[in-house]
Amino acid sequence: MSRIGVFVCHCGENIGRTVDCAAVAEALKDHPGVAHSEDYKYMCSDPGQALVKKAIEEHNLTGVVVAACSPHMHEKTFRRACDQAGLNKFMCEMANIREHCSWIHEDREDATAKAIDIGRTIIEKVKHNRPLEVIKIPVTKRAMVIGGGIAGIQAALDIADGGHEVVLVEKEASIGGHMSQLSETFPTLDCSQCILTPRMVEAYQHPNIKLHTWSEIEKVDGYIGNFEVTVRKKARSVDLDLCNGCGDCWAVCPSKRIPSEFDAGLSNRTAIYVPFPQAVPNQPVLDRENCTLFKGRAKGLKKDACGKCKDACLKNAIDYDTEDEFVVEEVGAIVVATGYKLYDVGREQPEGLKGYGEYGYGEDPDIIDGLQFERIASASGPTGGEILRPSDGKEPKTVVFVHCVGSRDIDKGMAYCSKICCMYNAKHAMLYKHKVHDGRAVAFYMDIRANGKGYDEFSRRAIEEDHAEYVRGRVSRIFRDGDKLKVWGFDTLNDEQVIIDADMVVLATAIRPNDGVKELAQKLSCSVDVDGFINEAHPKLRPVETNTAGVFLAGACQAPRDIPDAVAMASATGAKVLSLFSTDELEREPAVAVVDERTCIGCMRCALVCPYGAIEQREICTVDGQVCGHTAYVNPGVCQGCGTCQAVCLSNSIDLQTFTDEQVYSEINALCMWE
Amino acid sequence: MTGPAIAPAYAGVDELRRVARELLESGEVRVIIGWEDARRGARPVFITDPAEADKLIFDTRCVHNLVTYLDPRRDHVSELGRIGLVVKGCDAKAVAGLLRESQLSRDHVVLIGMRCGGVLEEGELPEPLALTPENVAPRCYGCDNREPTLTDHLLGEPQPEPPRPVMTIDERVAALDDLPLEERWAFWTEQFSKCVRCYACRQVCPLCICERCIVEKTQPLWIESAAHPRGNFSWNLTRAIHLAGRCVDCGECERFCPVGIPLSLLNRKLQQIVHDRYGYTASDDPENAAPIGDYRLDDQQEFIK
Amino acid sequence: MNSQHSDTFEPRITAFVCNWCTYTGADLAGTSRLHMASNVRIIRLPCTGRIDPLFIVKAFERGADGVIVSGCHPADCHYTSGNYHARRRFAVFHDIMQFLGVDPRRMTFSWVSASEGAKWKDVVNETVANIRELGPYEAYRALAPDAVEPWPEAVDGLTPAGDQEPAAKEVAS
Ligand SMILES: Cc1cc2nc3c(=O)[nH]c(=O)nc-3n(C[C@H](O)[C@H](O)[C@H](O)COP(=O)(O)OP(=O)(O)OC[C@H]3O[C@@H](n4cnc5c(N)ncnc54)[C@H](O)[C@@H]3O)c2cc1C
Ligand code: SF4
Ligand code: SF4
Ligand code: SF4
Ligand code: SF4
Ligand code: SF4
Repeated sequence: MSRIGVFVCHCGENIGRTVDCAAVAEALKDHPGVAHSEDYKYMCSDPGQALVKKAIEEHNLTGVVVAACSPHMHEKTFRRACDQAGLNKFMCEMANIREHCSWIHEDREDATAKAIDIGRTIIEKVKHNRPLEVIKIPVTKRAMVIGGGIAGIQAALDIADGGHEVVLVEKEASIGGHMSQLSETFPTLDCSQCILTPRMVEAYQHPNIKLHTWSEIEKVDGYIGNFEVTVRKKARSVDLDLCNGCGDCWAVCPSKRIPSEFDAGLSNRTAIYVPFPQAVPNQPVLDRENCTLFKGRAKGLKKDACGKCKDACLKNAIDYDTEDEFVVEEVGAIVVATGYKLYDVGREQPEGLKGYGEYGYGEDPDIIDGLQFERIASASGPTGGEILRPSDGKEPKTVVFVHCVGSRDIDKGMAYCSKICCMYNAKHAMLYKHKVHDGRAVAFYMDIRANGKGYDEFSRRAIEEDHAEYVRGRVSRIFRDGDKLKVWGFDTLNDEQVIIDADMVVLATAIRPNDGVKELAQKLSCSVDVDGFINEAHPKLRPVETNTAGVFLAGACQAPRDIPDAVAMASATGAKVLSLFSTDELEREPAVAVVDERTCIGCMRCALVCPYGAIEQREICTVDGQVCGHTAYVNPGVCQGCGTCQAVCLSNSIDLQTFTDEQVYSEINALCMWE
Repeated sequence: MTGPAIAPAYAGVDELRRVARELLESGEVRVIIGWEDARRGARPVFITDPAEADKLIFDTRCVHNLVTYLDPRRDHVSELGRIGLVVKGCDAKAVAGLLRESQLSRDHVVLIGMRCGGVLEEGELPEPLALTPENVAPRCYGCDNREPTLTDHLLGEPQPEPPRPVMTIDERVAALDDLPLEERWAFWTEQFSKCVRCYACRQVCPLCICERCIVEKTQPLWIESAAHPRGNFSWNLTRAIHLAGRCVDCGECERFCPVGIPLSLLNRKLQQIVHDRYGYTASDDPENAAPIGDYRLDDQQEFIK
Repeated sequence: MNSQHSDTFEPRITAFVCNWCTYTGADLAGTSRLHMASNVRIIRLPCTGRIDPLFIVKAFERGADGVIVSGCHPADCHYTSGNYHARRRFAVFHDIMQFLGVDPRRMTFSWVSASEGAKWKDVVNETVANIRELGPYEAYRALAPDAVEPWPEAVDGLTPAGDQEPAAKEVAS
């Protein structure tokens, strides 16, 4: 039998003015199961709480109902008081007779009657409360960062500097990401490599950072504080412990005509290669798809068709028979920093996107994208930093820059603004004019969005000091006409057609989420938005968290981001991870769902709707250990207590603690006591 | 007046018997579940001896949805071993339902699909009858799966469309929809008040697969178990919404209801709702995600303030 | 302002609301001292995703004249997608209840965010006004066991019971 204590608060005049608190306490005294009922001026005050504690002891209460303000206000206070008096704190509930009653009604009789109803409803609920323990989750103080661009590097460094081990996983052979490809960076025009390389080296040499390059995420198990991530280390064919990066192997490789990813296809590399001279680690990888030996093996040749690199390697570091390896890393937090890729504007497009066949990208070598221009303008690039066009190596005298290629164009599949293109176009126009003094730079734009510190000044400089010609309007067609590229556009400010004979065209193509991000998000139980960027938990208040507790976001994987943004986000995730690691155990309210294995049939409808992927299928065995079926199982570390699973379970075989079926049922039932 | 003509068995019965025999002989399955001739019509039969494969029939009397035997909680069936099951198109949809809800592993059953030209509304007739607007099972009209695709063997020949019943289910639903609210209420409470809570509708439904049905959950007792109008209302409503987006319109629940409650009208209404709102139609493709448990950001919400 | 001690009909309304949006919105209505009808009793749940149609049915069984179900707006759900799943279930429930003859005005579904105290007040007042107009839910209460006559007729099987409208009869057969 329950012995419930009811404590009605006047809240000074706040409740007492409209609700007859003494009458409420009196009426509830006779409610079945109530052992004690009283009212007091200020329940939340120390003497008020003392009343609660005293009554718990005196009447040996099994439950407490505080009829006062909203549970959002003082539930914690009263639960703490109960705890101190030795009553399990989850046996205490608030009946909200202030916000939901005294403050919204005037008629004293009505309000008093309603307050009694509210009290009864909660008393009936508390009768079915169960003593619960807060859930304690141990924290593995080790983080994983996925993606080694500037965002990933920064996050890894911040966490590592905070004294915790970090596993940095990068799918390419070197860390660095897109920033390593950039020439100079807006808004200050400092050399990208010069500021990035020291960071890359620092990450590489940091005693707390463990690097997996040429690696991808295979599987993610577990939950906040306790993830188990399986990393696939793709077969590199080069033993990094033995290799000293001397370069003898790539010097002898006969497959020399493979387009270099780093130079965005503007130069060639060998099959065994280091992506770029400052690569970290500065050791090669063997690209099996393009290697003569592996192509031979794929065709079924008995004898290996090559083997030159292995012969050339004095350290004996090359092994053609290595296979993908799997390493399981235990970490407590994960930072996703997988960055972006550029929208490929060619004719061939994945589903949902249309492409710009009319711009001839991929068909004419002098129509290039922003990253290709970065490489041409870069001192370490294929032209040594001279602006020369790809087709014939001549200096282009007229260059057209086209903004918003794909971005803000719902017809092509993307409604969003890519954010950085206005800025890098201005940068490109400047870099061009600085190198080709007699050249003409024409930019077609929709609006100029330069909203960062020093950004507008920067883009104005391109126009005012470097005399880039900005035409407000879109380009309809680009096509070759002899030595020139005809660019047809429209100047909407002067309301006239513009035709420009260009030597080279640079398309500012949209920023898109990287390949494989959707699959990765799925493994992490995170969602992606309509454009495929990973969703943050809240657009304003939780911008670097995801809906999966313990998984954070940095950089362009969340939305188009420039370097300052990416770095700021990275440091924010660093702070989040470090604060998570500042405790040994996480405490969670026990508001979690529990499956009744006796009646669950394992239909897994619940798992389908759980927003957090907290529900997994579990085999059940007979007494002699034979698998005889399966049921659902809720991982209490992951469950956030929404109860969505419960409402889809047809047989109600899953129950949400703190809002159980019995509790809700009793509350509804209490309503028959109306009148 | 002459009675309706006797109809020959559907094409493919010989093949059916041969396939069944071979499956049993080769040990590929341990039992074939199909229909056989009986005094009062067709009835389900379990065949384990290849010599008895010739008992199998397939004609307009084969109304039963045999998928109900695949319910994993019918241990006595699953204990027999790998099953060969004869299915019509509507039955195959129920198999897809079980697969979708992880109740069946596809390789535990060999599906022998029959091309179907419709069945009778009432199965208990000594002879197969030619289908007429009066006797055809209403759901057969407009059936979109008369050639099941979720099968291992597809037998028989393409059959003509079954006749249009005197009043189609959709017309009957529409007629109810046209009644004023109070009359609908009167109609349904009247109907539900007849319910004796035998739960035949649930037992026979291939998709009522719960270990312990919600109606048997006593703590708390969401649905009153006594057969009075209030409890019956909750029960019939709950059974129907539990099948929303899952019901395959095999008609078994209504056929088995001893007091003749027109459950198929409720089922059909729910099919219309999930179809109109979410574009969902039950199919025998297990990959076709069920509408409840799924959502779209732009789902209709005109009823929400 | 209505008062329950008058002789007029005072609707009893049960509201099932989510903790994060509507409950908090109702708190805000309180802090803003927005006066409203006193006929609504709130049952707090974590999320609309937790709200089972059986709750609503049970509320009617227990004598509620009307029900409010309210939670976070789409895209605002504290648990990301609980309300999207709820929306589908409620849509189906809403439609089928109407088919069974339940007046849809007896069930108000709404999205009320934590900042929409004023909207909550409107939802409450409108629902109360609607139900006041509809009157007590006698039809549902009439289903209660003691209000029931013994078996309507012999359980002989297949014909629908009672003397109904011809249209209804035809439909059932
Ligand atoms: C043409 C151009 C010019 C630009 N100029 C400037 C400029 O001047 N100033 C400026 O501030 N910004 C500039 N930017 C923007 C800048 O490139 C980005 O802000 C920055 O690179 C974002 O860093 P990131 O780490 O988020 O992503 P990225 O640089 O894209 O790095 C992501 C990393 O993650 C890795 N990765 C991806 N998927 C996986 C996976 N599944 N598993 C493991 N690893 C993975 C990738 O290989 C990559 O190394 C420019 C962009 C372009 C296109
Ligand atoms: S929905 Fe219910 S019966 Fe199905 S797996 Fe989940 S808990 Fe079990
Ligand atoms: S309560 Fe919510 S979070 Fe927890 S298991 Fe159920 S659906 Fe998932
Ligand atoms: S509810 Fe009736 S018609 Fe639907 S699948 Fe079940 S038995 Fe068949
Ligand atoms: S009525 Fe619902 S709970 Fe009962 S067996 Fe059918 S699906 Fe399961
Ligand atoms: S078969 Fe008919 S009588 Fe039996 S429980 Fe179902 S609806 Fe009621």
